[in-house]
Amino acid sequence: MSDKKLHEDQKYIDGLAANNTFIIKAIYDKFAPKVINYVKQNSGDAHDAQDVIQETIITIFNQAKQKKLELTCPFDAYFFLLCKRKWLNQLKKRKVNEVTINDDVLSKDDDAQVLSFETSIFEDKEALFNEMFQQLGDACKDLLKATFKIKSMEEVAKSLNITYAYARKKKSLCIGQLTKLVQASPKFNQLNY
Amino acid sequence: MEEQDYIQFEGYLTGDLSKSDLLAFDERLESDSDFKTAFEIYKDVSSHLQHNIANEQESADFKANLDVITNQYFHDIESADVENKSSQKSNFYKYAIAASVVILLGFFVFNLLGKPNYNDYNNFDAISLTVRSAEDANFSNAEQSFNTQNYEAAIAAFNTILEEDFSNLEIQLYKSMALVETNQFEEADALLNKLSKGSSAYKNKAKWILALSYLKQEKIELCKETLQSVPKDADDYKRAQELFNKLD
Repeated sequence: MSDKKLHEDQKYIDGLAANNTFIIKAIYDKFAPKVINYVKQNSGDAHDAQDVIQETIITIFNQAKQKKLELTCPFDAYFFLLCKRKWLNQLKKRKVNEVTINDDVLSKDDDAQVLSFETSIFEDKEALFNEMFQQLGDACKDLLKATFKIKSMEEVAKSLNITYAYARKKKSLCIGQLTKLVQASPKFNQLNY
Repeated sequence: MEEQDYIQFEGYLTGDLSKSDLLAFDERLESDSDFKTAFEIYKDVSSHLQHNIANEQESADFKANLDVITNQYFHDIESADVENKSSQKSNFYKYAIAASVVILLGFFVFNLLGKPNYNDYNNFDAISLTVRSAEDANFSNAEQSFNTQNYEAAIAAFNTILEEDFSNLEIQLYKSMALVETNQFEEADALLNKLSKGSSAYKNKAKWILALSYLKQEKIELCKETLQSVPKDADDYKRAQELFNKLD
């Protein structure tokens, strides 16, 4: 990706990551109508569209915050593909059989396909990580929460009344356990590892 | 993977491996695909936890801001739709609006004569929590109780929601409004002070409600001070200025 040129629409990604109200509003004004239309034409209503758009924006925010999200295509195509995929998944879950998939608006932009696919995978990973985190024991949950909140392992150890060496070891074992839970999940195979 | 492998992963990510360990680690990444996969997951999980736990406040602020923007946007297109469809009804609305303007004007003049009172200002808009959580009984319960001014029940419902989702700033704001209504000032003021010092979309609203709380407690100086902190671009700026002038 690094040899490709960054698209000028990267400003939307950076604006989301910076919680820039002006940019978020601009995304709604410019890109929401197309999504609303699409959802309405495919067995949904405005509320469905609102949820789809909101969830998609949160996912982009999360990805932009965690990993470098470098847009090499127009935001429009990338955003629309994400919303569209999310809506079609929703319909599948609701078991709507007569889905009239209107493919006229399907983007042919390759970069948009690739990037939006990566973001969808990222979203699935996040969901699975959250789900599996809940399955950890309380000791691990508390230790991980403390570790990532406090940052200094010395202080973490102090606050949990354990030694520094043990806290360090325990941190890696807890993340290890989470890694195992993720790998053992039936959803793991869809995650492209 | 063995325990030792996970300890190595952590060491690698934090840069704590010795040179020889590092070499061995890189070699194994090349040759052992299971090791590599486990490491990739470990790395992603770490970055996920880092983002979710360390940046919890930032994420909550973002979501709150997004909530406000999305509700505003969809509210606007909905009202545009309704306007288009209901031109017949619009005459009724015109008269209704004219009538309410007259009533409001009377109210305003009357108020100019008297001392400002909390009850002149606590005509809160109805809240709407069920758009995105229609299936959640707690949300509809909270919404209904709040909108029918049953504030004790609303507080109970807000608390249940906050148990699950303690960083929900919107709910925190509504809860603080209900607390002011029921004269639980200490908790209300603490919550409102926190919200108004934050960077979320609710900070200006929180300032306004905090000022109203002080007004109700007759802490006039604090009230004036808080009113002055409501910035020009806030929804409640005009009302804040108006109240300030009356108190001054």
